[in-house]
Amino acid sequence: MPIKLHHILLSLALLMPATVLADPPSGYNFTDFNNGFARAKAENKPVMVYFGRYGCAWCDHVNRKTFSDPELKKLYNENYVLVYVDAEGGKRIRLPSGERLTEAEYGTRLGAFATPLFVYLAADGQQVAKIPGFKTVDDF
Amino acid sequence: MKQATALLLALLASAPSWGQWRFEAAMDVAGPVKAFHHLSASGRKSLAVSGQHIALTWEDDHTGTPRCYLALKGPSNPVFVTRELGEGECYDPAITALDAGHFAAIWEDTRGVKAARVDASSIGQALRLAESGGHGSLAFHPASGLWAAWSQPDGRWRRIQLARIDLDHAVPRLLATQPADPQPVTDDQTYPILTRNAEGLTLAWEDRRPGHTVIYGNRLDAGAWHAPFRISQNPTGKAQGTDLGRGTGAMRPSLAAYGDNNLAAVWLDKRDFLSGYDVYAALSNDGGKTFGKNQKAQDSFGDTYAQWHASAAGNSKGDLVIAWDDDRDGTSDIWLTWLMPNGFAENIAPAVAAGPDSQTDPVLALDETGNLHLAWIERNAEGLSRIRYVIGTKAQ
Repeated sequence: MPIKLHHILLSLALLMPATVLADPPSGYNFTDFNNGFARAKAENKPVMVYFGRYGCAWCDHVNRKTFSDPELKKLYNENYVLVYVDAEGGKRIRLPSGERLTEAEYGTRLGAFATPLFVYLAADGQQVAKIPGFKTVDDF
Repeated sequence: MKQATALLLALLASAPSWGQWRFEAAMDVAGPVKAFHHLSASGRKSLAVSGQHIALTWEDDHTGTPRCYLALKGPSNPVFVTRELGEGECYDPAITALDAGHFAAIWEDTRGVKAARVDASSIGQALRLAESGGHGSLAFHPASGLWAAWSQPDGRWRRIQLARIDLDHAVPRLLATQPADPQPVTDDQTYPILTRNAEGLTLAWEDRRPGHTVIYGNRLDAGAWHAPFRISQNPTGKAQGTDLGRGTGAMRPSLAAYGDNNLAAVWLDKRDFLSGYDVYAALSNDGGKTFGKNQKAQDSFGDTYAQWHASAAGNSKGDLVIAWDDDRDGTSDIWLTWLMPNGFAENIAPAVAAGPDSQTDPVLALDETGNLHLAWIERNAEGLSRIRYVIGTKAQ
């Protein structure tokens, strides 16, 4: 029984980053924009950009409810280059167009009005789909 | 029919927002060129007026590398004269007015955060304020001197630093530095904006200490910086009725002094999270000691659209104007409001900064006679970009 309790507490502790921070969901290979596109080009893989806001409730919700699914985790980790962008961030990124701008300014280019926003792009940077808001495992 | 005509005339007569501003023909400051222009100074202080001289700073990559530029226009010049600032890759240049015809600029380049005195004839020797960092802002007060604020790495976070500087001599000097908040930093502090008021200086910045982004402020008077305080009232805590999130976002503050001792803090606010950021403001009538209730500066017609790049300017006559861009008319245009005795005016999109191309990133300054100096980026579908400038006057 004590061992079981220890395991439960350890599991909860491991889940803490996902539940405390409404940032990238845990267990996924998220990287930043510049690294992600370099990888996508090298591996010829599509990109999924998670455009999230620091402290965002709906990001928190989709992380807990949807991205906790082990099958989804496997599917996305294996088939996409996963990029996380901070919607209010000042970090500079280089868009496939060549423009160098901040993460927040990327939101103006996307016409972002809500977070989370999921943007699917081909390895060459061409936008395939842009999907705002909470989504279920089936949606993904 | 007579009734309809009378109603139309009455409606036209009761729409004072249109026609209160008259704009001259706009001019190009940079471009058109297939490049990316950025008017991205912290606090959106890319435009300043000193006496009859106008200074504008921006970054663009028309040479293939992002570099900073300064354009100056004097009363006898029909056009702006442009020079380069910084070394190598350069970002977020900002400008502030000093005495008549003189300015100070701050920017981030490959060797750190730097500032220099500039005027029509020269760019002074640059003073390096930090080896790394960015988001520089400057303000000058005759009693307090010239101060710089910027954001620099501090462990895993970024922290706002302040410095009193002297750019008047051949060799510029760093006189004193201190953090904007003496308390240990617990999350990122970014995008500071300094402005002068009657008694001293006021500072605002983005702060993530509550687990989401809010606006903090601080002030300098009688030679001392006071304890920081929160300006934005965007809700902190979990979303209503849930155990989700940590709070809504407030970002990219701008500050403007107006009248005898008034200040406006303006920022982008996500408390209505379904329709993008809105333009919010908080006003102070005691020189920045306290700020009043947060209020939406845009009108209701903009509520279902995302607003971007909010910027504020004021003058000692008591004028206060706020500008931003949004696409409520189909494409991105520059929108303005201004403070009236009963609140903010209905929004207008001046024809000179509106239309089928994309007009974004407004920066503005008000001179002491009440003229509005406005600059923005215009980009067309073919990727040609240019920086436009116009002067507007308000009918009395």
